[in-house]
Amino acid sequence: MTLSRQRGFVTPEPNEDWRAIAARVLPAEPTDAAIEKLRSWNLHLLARNPPGEFTGSDVLFVEPPLEGTGGALPGLDGVPGDD
Amino acid sequence: MLDILIRNGRIVDGTGIPAYHGDLGIEGGRLRQVGGHLNVDARHMVDAGGHVVAPGFIDPHTHFDAQLLWDGQARPALEHGVTTVVHGNCSLSLAPLKAAHRPRLVRMFQQIEEMPDAAFDGAFEWTWEAFDAYVDALRGRLSLNVAPLAGHSPLRMWVMGEEAQGRAATPDETRAMQQLLRECLEAGAIGLSTSYVDFDENMRPVPSRYAHAEELDALCSVLGDFGRMLQVVPEFYSTDITIARIDQLAELSLAHGIPTTFSPLFDSVTMPANVSRVLDRVAEQFARGARVWPQVQTRPIDISFSFEVASLFFVTQPMWYMILRLPREQRLAAFRDAATRKSLIDAVEAGGSSPWGELRVRDSADASLIGRTLGDIAEERGGSPAAVMIDLSVEEDFGVHFLSASMGHDDPSRVGPTLANDLVHVGASDAGAHIQSFATYGDTGYLFDRFVRDGRYLSLEHAVRKITSETAQIWGIPDRGLLKPGAAADVVVFDPETIGRGAELPVTDMPENGMRYVRDASGIDAVIVNGEVAWSAADGYTEATSGNVVLP
Repeated sequence: MTLSRQRGFVTPEPNEDWRAIAARVLPAEPTDAAIEKLRSWNLHLLARNPPGEFTGSDVLFVEPPLEGTGGALPGLDGVPGDD
Repeated sequence: MLDILIRNGRIVDGTGIPAYHGDLGIEGGRLRQVGGHLNVDARHMVDAGGHVVAPGFIDPHTHFDAQLLWDGQARPALEHGVTTVVHGNCSLSLAPLKAAHRPRLVRMFQQIEEMPDAAFDGAFEWTWEAFDAYVDALRGRLSLNVAPLAGHSPLRMWVMGEEAQGRAATPDETRAMQQLLRECLEAGAIGLSTSYVDFDENMRPVPSRYAHAEELDALCSVLGDFGRMLQVVPEFYSTDITIARIDQLAELSLAHGIPTTFSPLFDSVTMPANVSRVLDRVAEQFARGARVWPQVQTRPIDISFSFEVASLFFVTQPMWYMILRLPREQRLAAFRDAATRKSLIDAVEAGGSSPWGELRVRDSADASLIGRTLGDIAEERGGSPAAVMIDLSVEEDFGVHFLSASMGHDDPSRVGPTLANDLVHVGASDAGAHIQSFATYGDTGYLFDRFVRDGRYLSLEHAVRKITSETAQIWGIPDRGLLKPGAAADVVVFDPETIGRGAELPVTDMPENGMRYVRDASGIDAVIVNGEVAWSAADGYTEATSGNVVLP
């Protein structure tokens, strides 16, 4: 069974920050530009307090939403219905 | 002589085969005969009168962890036909838990599951730290069966202390968590729960969210030794992230041979492709051999609230939420203060429009207000819906209750086919949680009422199978979910023409008269747990304590 293509993502390694992840997933890009790209693809992490802080279990997308998928939803933690 | 003989039943045995008429005999807590005409004596006779006789319902997503310690009947779940509950979901369980960590975990329960202080403070005696001792504390007081999960957050706290909420585990700490989980599973835990979305009372992510992929993989390797379940709460507000979680779960399932489940999965007008995209991915992963079960609830998302508690309804309105968490007198003073009142209204209604105009008054000392929208009342009184909400609450000393109805998952033509999908696990009731925001009871009755009787999206037999044998099979709960000779005698007798859920009611039956919302059952005749009548429409709750901890 071939899996359909979905939006690419990584999870953080211990002690990785935005800079380290940018270097890992976008090594050809200048670091600051790569960080900006990553942040723009991961608005769910920027909506946090403090903004941009991620934890070890978080999903970080490494590309924008795929065309035709309805786009990214910059959701907030704890919306009604939250478990 | 039989213990119980149920005569004249329409037997729906949980397999999904067509119903058939017959009797059912119970002896020694087991089903002795299913079907046919039994001409034998019994200590207790039940005349089903042609009503359905089915396996007891299994609820896979509850938070009865604390309630079971003072209410072994898990009221009112039992009277809705639920005979087995899984608790300890969403990374939170009351064991394993060191005494020093109790206040911290209780605050998380209060924050995440909206359980009042009284639910923990003096309502029961903490007699355990280890999982086996918690299981012992439950035994002997249960009127229904329980299948407890071990929570990832307390597991981390046990091993890492305060640092559980701040960093990755070291290899030694990961090994210690593996050993601790192994002890939980040996003591009867049905699996491990974790969460990717929950936060504590200080808005810090719960401990499980600090676990890196290696830690969860190591814990799943222990689950693999036992073939037990991993339950997670994904970021359900984003389809892309939910799909990423499905892919992670699939890899864990394949690598360790374990079942996994995630909850909740909602239908919503703001994410119209959510369910279809998620189910497409689930189907692809099942085709690879992975087991990733999405849990879907039956009921629409309704939230009821008053200003007595900081309801989930306000969680996206930080200023309101902060004030509602103040002590009562300070809270009242804040809402009475003109400047604060204006700031609160502006926070919601900036730009002149109000998102709260369609909210309704569901309970008030002024009967003429009940059922009316805040927009309607605002027109009559002047002001805006948010202003009306504040003013009514202050005027009635917080006694007025509001209802935000149908916030999503409320289109039967979309939810019905989803519930009928073979890859969908009907569950996610959240029973025992959010008790001051909505009644989490009666989802099973609602399934039959709305999706079998009204919409005909599922047959009676299919619906019964969904919440009995399928649930037992998914979770590896042995011996339950089917009516067959030798199986545990968990049985519900109900009228398929009237089974449903009652109106949502505020009651004060929590410890120290704490308030919660409940729903009564309708159409249920009798509920039998391990061969003893635990509830009947004629006599209500009995003194039976025949429930037990289900050992996988």
